[in-house]
Amino acid sequence: MKIMRIAGVSMDAVMKHKVRTFLIVLAIVVGIATLTVIVALTQGANKKILQQINNFGPDAIMVHSGGGKMRGPSTASEANLTKKDIADIQDIEGVKLISPFQVSLDMPVKYGNKFTTSWIFGVESSWQEAWKRGASKGDFISDSDNEQLSKVCVIGQTAAKDLFGDANPIGENILVENVSFRVIGILEKRGQSPVGTDFDNLILIPFTTASRRLMNQPLYIAMARAVVFNPSQIKTVTAKIKEILRANHHLAETEEDDFKMTSPEEITKMIKSTSQTLNVFLWLVGIISPFVGGIVLMNIMLMAVSERKREIGLRRAVGAKKKHIIFQFLAESLVLTFAGGAFGVTAGVIIAILISFSGKPISITWQPFATAFLFSTVIGLFFGIYPARKAAALDPAGALSQK
Amino acid sequence: MIEFNDITKFFISGTVRTDVLRGVTFKVNKGEFAAIMAPSGTGKTTLLNVLGCLMKASSGSYLFEDQDIETLNDDQLSEIRNKKIGFVFQTFNLLERTSALDNVLLPLVYADVYPADADKKASRFLESVGLKERINYKPSELSGGQQQRVAIARALINDPAVILADEPTGNLDANSAKEIMEIFKTLHKEGRTILVVTHDINIARSAERIIYLKDGRVEKEEVLR
Repeated sequence: MKIMRIAGVSMDAVMKHKVRTFLIVLAIVVGIATLTVIVALTQGANKKILQQINNFGPDAIMVHSGGGKMRGPSTASEANLTKKDIADIQDIEGVKLISPFQVSLDMPVKYGNKFTTSWIFGVESSWQEAWKRGASKGDFISDSDNEQLSKVCVIGQTAAKDLFGDANPIGENILVENVSFRVIGILEKRGQSPVGTDFDNLILIPFTTASRRLMNQPLYIAMARAVVFNPSQIKTVTAKIKEILRANHHLAETEEDDFKMTSPEEITKMIKSTSQTLNVFLWLVGIISPFVGGIVLMNIMLMAVSERKREIGLRRAVGAKKKHIIFQFLAESLVLTFAGGAFGVTAGVIIAILISFSGKPISITWQPFATAFLFSTVIGLFFGIYPARKAAALDPAGALSQK
Repeated sequence: MIEFNDITKFFISGTVRTDVLRGVTFKVNKGEFAAIMAPSGTGKTTLLNVLGCLMKASSGSYLFEDQDIETLNDDQLSEIRNKKIGFVFQTFNLLERTSALDNVLLPLVYADVYPADADKKASRFLESVGLKERINYKPSELSGGQQQRVAIARALINDPAVILADEPTGNLDANSAKEIMEIFKTLHKEGRTILVVTHDINIARSAERIIYLKDGRVEKEEVLR
């Protein structure tokens, strides 16, 4: 094949002009490596955001009692959500379920002579489905536990470890504010939240027991987690909840909400806004770097064309058509940018891995490789076409007579 | 097989028109060994460029194997150069850092059909010009005479209709020059058409016929043998 023979000529030129090849490849390597690192970092950040949203639940809305911008769960003391609120939310179209719960932060817990502090949640059995988290061992809080105000608990794995070490906690009794609870199950592991909250340092007790025995708050509810059938309904359902709660709480138009809602969208917004500025800057650098590499390529290729005028003239004299010359030089550019791309993506991945040791999330999937391949091709074609066309446009007779 | 009829060529630079060829007419027959005797300044380079299909004439007709060259486009001219013309240049024009063998193979890169026995063919031509032992030498490792012989082998590789030599001995010492002209004579004897353009009458005298060029016109022709 003629095209393969000409590609061979291009390869040959790349191998024979070592300094030139080295310089161009280096320029492309720097560009593509930068881009690769940036892709890996952005993908890593995105993956983390996604993970956080998934941890929260893409189909969930949290309703907190108490207004204001304060983050974190409200405590029972400021609770103003009522059973009616919950029932009304349950009736909204698109709501699969709503699971109310009470929260008490950092409660002292005791077993034998061991102490720890833990978050105490008063929950109903629907908590399992709302959080997609049940007992990994033993039983969960049941409806009858709630009806009978049972003094039972399901214990998170961190709390379990703190109090029981490696021993089996099920069947043992622990003291929460001097009320004794029997451990009936161990909660599935969940890990840490983005801000470092340990989701395993908690103890679940029946909702009713918490309201009456522990928090003395029988009428109000601290928080509730609503789950919708379809994540696309989040927006409308959120608006509807707001409407219902404002009506139920008799809030005038000028008054602020006395509740707060958190949806996956808000979490995304919050995380993204902090990383946006940095991302724009990173991407700018990421795009500019290969571009600079391309300029280096074009520069050196133009020099090569003018150095090799005689060769071009000779090739034309022995029968090369214009398109053959264009192809030869374009292929040369592409070989160089592909080599640069291959080394660049390798270097970039190594650098990204080194960066990940410092704790930054990275993600290396197909994207950095696809980006490197795409940019190599684009740079090779875009910056290579001008020198190639210049070479082909040379008048063969004139090129041959070059000194 | 080469027919120049009243070929003119002028160049315009700014407002100045320079007439280089002012109506050149001559013929070269198939199997002939002809020389064009052209002292410098008589339009030798331009004549060669037109002859070699590297440049089109301003007017007149150029028939190459009965084909009107003036009607062809750039790609078609490339094909003619590839298939029909074997160039031998004064400065050899070999690719540096490339073996003699690969230099000889160069025109085949652009050929429509790449012969299966290309390497063998190239070696044979190199052997026929006395470079059997040097097929893997690079131009920088060869003497001027040897380089020109590589160039001749390169001109032969596509079995061209004509070998067009531009001052082929211009950069060579007397001995090498003689050897090169002997090669041309041998090639002629084998039936090839050879056209040498030179300003050196001693070189021109190797040919069967000399066409004298003067001031962009054919001054006279001389049949030697």
